[in-house]
This record gives sequence, C-alpha cells and structure tokens, in this order.
Amino acid sequence: MSGIELDIRLVPPHEKHPAIFRTFDALGSGEGFTLVNDHDPYPLRHQFEATRSGQFDWTYVERGPAVWRVLIGKSRA
Amino acid sequence: MKVALSTAAAPGLAAESLVAFDEACRRRGLDGLELVLGSASGGPDADPERPCAAARAAGLRVVALAAARVDAATAPALARAAASLEVPVSVPGAAVPEAELAAVGRAFARAGGRLLLAHGSALDAVLALLAAVRAARTPALGLAWEVRPSSESLDERGAILLAARAELGLVRFFGGGPEQHDQGGRGVGSFFHELALSRYDGPLVLHPSGSAALPRWSRWLASHKSAGCGHGHDARAIALDVRDVEPRDRLDTVLGAYRALGPGATLELTLDHDPSCMYYTLRATEEEGSFAFRTVGHGPEVWRAEVTKRGART
Repeated sequence: MSGIELDIRLVPPHEKHPAIFRTFDALGSGEGFTLVNDHDPYPLRHQFEATRSGQFDWTYVERGPAVWRVLIGKSRA
Repeated sequence: MKVALSTAAAPGLAAESLVAFDEACRRRGLDGLELVLGSASGGPDADPERPCAAARAAGLRVVALAAARVDAATAPALARAAASLEVPVSVPGAAVPEAELAAVGRAFARAGGRLLLAHGSALDAVLALLAAVRAARTPALGLAWEVRPSSESLDERGAILLAARAELGLVRFFGGGPEQHDQGGRGVGSFFHELALSRYDGPLVLHPSGSAALPRWSRWLASHKSAGCGHGHDARAIALDVRDVEPRDRLDTVLGAYRALGPGATLELTLDHDPSCMYYTLRATEEEGSFAFRTVGHGPEVWRAEVTKRGART
C-alpha cells in the first residue's frame, strides 16, 4: 500500500495547518505521512515542537528549490 | 502523487510552446502537465496519436491526457495514444455512449491504455457512473474526479471516497495555484486531508476554475517568486499585510520586518491564517523575552497580530 501524502500547496492558507495537524493526529503510532510544500515548512516544525513535543519525528526527503518534502512520523507510544 | 497543470491554463498554446509551459511548471514545483487533446492539434476529432508522439519526442513530462469524447470507433486510436505515453486519458463521463462503454473498454484493454470517466462531486452521479464502469468488467476503465470547490459542494466527498476509491485514477482540481486564496471555507483543506488518508497516489491535475482566472494563472506561471514587502526602519509601528505575499515568502518577510524594527516598535500583521506558526517561530529563533506577541483579531477570514520588540531599558 502506498504512503499517505498531503500536498499542502493546494490548500487555502488558513486551512493548511489544521489539515496538517488533523492528518498527523489521525495517524497510528509508528505511522507517518509525507508533507509536500512549496517552501521550507520549518515554522510548522516549531509549532509541532511546541504542541506535540516528543511525539513526532521530522525527516527532509526533498529540500527545494521548488518543492520541499518532509516525512513526518508519529513516534511509537 | 504527481501534481500537474492542465494545458487548459494556457488555451491556444502552440504545440512548440509546450516545452516552455512544461519548464514553467517545473519551476513552480509541478511534476508535469496534462495535455488537453484537440487544443493544440486542430479540431477535437484530430488524430490523438500525433500530439502524443510530438510530446514524447520533445521529452514533455505528460502526466495525463484529456479528451472531449470517445466512442467505439475512435477508442483504438485514443487508447494507443495513451498507452504510448503510459498515462491515463480522461473524458467527461457523459461523453461516452453507454451502449458502447464495454467496447470502448475492450479497445483500451487491448492497447494497454486506461480510460477514466470524469464526474463531479454529487454522490448520486458518481454511483451511477461507477455502476456503468463496473458493469464493463475491465480494469482499463476507471474514474476521474473533477473537484470544483468554487462552484460545487464537497459535502459528499467522504462517501464518494468510500464508494469509488478503488476506481479513482485521477483528481482534477479546479483551483489551487493563484486561486487558493479564494477557496477558503469550502472544504478544500478537509478534502485533501481525506484524500491523503485514503492513500491516493494517482495524478492530481490543477485546472483554472474558469476563463476569468486565466490571466492570474499566466502571471503565476511566469513569476515563480513574488516580491516581499518594504522594510521600515525607525517607525514606531510597521503595518504588514502578508495576504499578498506568497506563502513561501511569508515567514522571511515577517522575520525581515521584525528584525528591522527599532526597540519598542510594533509590527502590525494582517494575515489570512492563524498566526500561531509565526509566534512559535519567533519564539524559537529570537532571543527569549525579546518580543511580545498579541493576536488582536481572530478569523475566520482575517487575523491580526501585533509583535512588539522590547526596548533596551535605559
């Protein structure tokens, strides 16, 4: 089965972060999803660190210049 | 998942201009284009294999084909065209005579191509088309979902995904790109959230919502970076409306403006999303206690926040 991929470039600005956190929150522990964006989503990482500290891991799969892909995993409980 | 732009974003484009179109898509981070047959090759009944051979020769990154109609007589040529590029071709569901659907499906199965029947976001219509596709009993037929958030409700998206996920071979999204700012509050975020959880990994084709949007798409394609904002220096307050700044440039713009503030000065931000991410980023990148962050207006469409740089005490 293929992975979960959320392309956030297509989502209106104020729905981006809610869609990302809802997708993350729907994951089982040990699962992950690939976030696709048109810029480095590091502000989001700060928000993850502030609100879901210790519950996620963050791995860059592609770093620009036009597309960024980050594998965001939910840590095993 | 491959994200492509329909050549409908540049109607009337000459065949030789498609290379530049594909290159503009690449600069925008898109994986390729959807070639609309009949637009660059004469009438809608023109031979579909010719533009596909030209596309292959030019090395275009064709992710999907779109045709206006197909029947038992025209199916073999269209199927060969799709098979030659190893991409699916979609047609409006209503444009295939139902009595010929099985024969059309067989032609695609023989050629090794895949035909996707396009539908909208009304569950009843999707179920009717799904039944017709299943009755033809060939994996060479599938569905293409046309998502029009600006004109059609997405309320039945969950049921559609549940019913038709296995047959779904393409999503065509009317919007995104320069239009994403107009599509708030229409379920787009939830749609992509649910599509992601369904593990959809087929092509996703962006398409202008209508001809009125075409000039914005052509500007969007031509400029892959937007200008930031002006910087203030000694002003006590700088107003910055980031709604006109491209999402990818926003944080740099805000941080740049913040760093240009004098001690005690305030940055007044206007945004179209919750500014929490900016708060967390400032907290992570700037010295602790060096700023005060206050959200002064909450959505649903517009947010306002004030960031004050704390002054050096004298």
